[in-house]
Amino acid sequence: MKKSVVSKEYQNLQKEILLLQEQWKQSLSPDTVKPNPDKAGIAAGVPAAALASIDFDISLFLQWIQEVGELLSRKNPELAEMLGRVQGLLNEETGIRWIDEAFALNVQYFASFAEENNLDGWIPQFLAETALRPYLQLTAEKFQNQISSGVPGTGCPVCGEPVRLAQLEGEGKKVINCPRCLAHWNEKRLSCAHCGNSDHETIRFLTVEGDESSQIQVCEKCKGYTKVIDTRQFISTPSSAMLDLTTIHLDFVAQENGYTPGPSR
Amino acid sequence: MVEYAKYVDVTKCDGCRACMVSCKNWNDLPAEPQDFLGSNQSHAKVTANTWNVLSFIEHENSKGNLEYLFRHSACFHCKEAACVKVCPEEALHYTDFGTVVINDEKCVGCGYCVQNCPFDVVSLATYKDKHGKEYKKAQKCTMCTDRLEEGMQPACVTVCHTGAMEFGEKDKMIQKAEKRLAEIKGKFPNANIYNPAGVGGTHAIYVLAEKPSVYGLPENPKVPTSAVIWKDYAQPIGKMMLGATTMAVIGAYISNKIFYKEDHGHDENGGGSNE
Repeated sequence: MKKSVVSKEYQNLQKEILLLQEQWKQSLSPDTVKPNPDKAGIAAGVPAAALASIDFDISLFLQWIQEVGELLSRKNPELAEMLGRVQGLLNEETGIRWIDEAFALNVQYFASFAEENNLDGWIPQFLAETALRPYLQLTAEKFQNQISSGVPGTGCPVCGEPVRLAQLEGEGKKVINCPRCLAHWNEKRLSCAHCGNSDHETIRFLTVEGDESSQIQVCEKCKGYTKVIDTRQFISTPSSAMLDLTTIHLDFVAQENGYTPGPSR
Repeated sequence: MVEYAKYVDVTKCDGCRACMVSCKNWNDLPAEPQDFLGSNQSHAKVTANTWNVLSFIEHENSKGNLEYLFRHSACFHCKEAACVKVCPEEALHYTDFGTVVINDEKCVGCGYCVQNCPFDVVSLATYKDKHGKEYKKAQKCTMCTDRLEEGMQPACVTVCHTGAMEFGEKDKMIQKAEKRLAEIKGKFPNANIYNPAGVGGTHAIYVLAEKPSVYGLPENPKVPTSAVIWKDYAQPIGKMMLGATTMAVIGAYISNKIFYKEDHGHDENGGGSNE
């Protein structure tokens, strides 16, 4: 039995990044996020973070990017040159742009930014996304008690991330977890988060032999999938961001079998 | 490393035996068909191939009423385990989790652990090698140490549908037991927490509804004195004596060499005694 295919080194790096994000979030004032009580918008599945007004501190955002860059350089000195160069390219204007594009998950923008500046393709979006998440997580904390369910097909009610991870809690309650903003909400055990299908004939479960604590719930109607992890069997429950990472093999299994984590991007 | 423990609240147990099934399933243990023993209990006690047994005790309480007492019985994983103490091959050992496990490769099947366990938990299993020759190895509950290593709880705990069993940090489990004891004292005046000090405390902590003896448990289990004498005195002295013998042999060899040389010098033609 082996619980994760992800190397311990990479898991440790991610844990350090998550720790940084937690510290950054703690340093933000709770008033940074001003919720917008647009009930109709939320009911229609518009992400709460898109409706709320978030008071971004650009210099802080750029400082966080520098901090995560330093962490990565420490772990992998080969990256130091490229990451150092990124710092030189960033100013207030690009900072604002990066926040907007990271929020919208604009893959094309970051890919072309990397190409124009001769950077590895993953670097700009990774840095922007890492530094954006504390804001999303703070927003999720503010909204958490208002979220009881999601709108099928619209992804996370707070940040819009497509649904792919759920945990079983208590007597078997299925709770969807967003690994991006750490929001969580309940869903019917036999229901597809992507299309709302709750017909037991068309919802199936894929399992990996020898791993009794996880299943992949797949919907034959919309071809969507959700990883359902029974973390009640774990000694300690990891954060949903770590859980999403350590169960990445299930994403491969699902996607190789023709399922997708929803089209809500 | 954090010390872990299994918490068993027998007052919540409904005797479903799912823990027995999941143990067999996870550890791939063969079934042991049994004759009817006169009660609902399936096996008289734990064996080498049945690492946990649900005991069904028919008890007459102080009011003269029948009370059916259930207890998930398995290895207690003592902090100062007699089995570890007596094992001459160091096959029985403690893990980082505080659990007591047997290294199959080191076990020679001597059975000292079987004789010395105060809870009568360890048994010998008989196997046959490829030549048909029988050999024995000690077997018992491992607290699913192979699962713990992967961050998973023991198999028996994960299936308990009444929440009678939990697994977690030992301090927290003891707190939980104390809280539960306060809750049930009214209903069960003899209720107690079973975490016997005579074996240094255990890594399976029970909340019992009645005195331990009612459940067939020793009131004050101890590491047998014979085990202490064996491990702390007899073995070191034995090793010391072995050391003395070895030294004598080496000494004799060296002195032989010296004498031989001297002798050799005196009588180059050889022959005669070399003493």
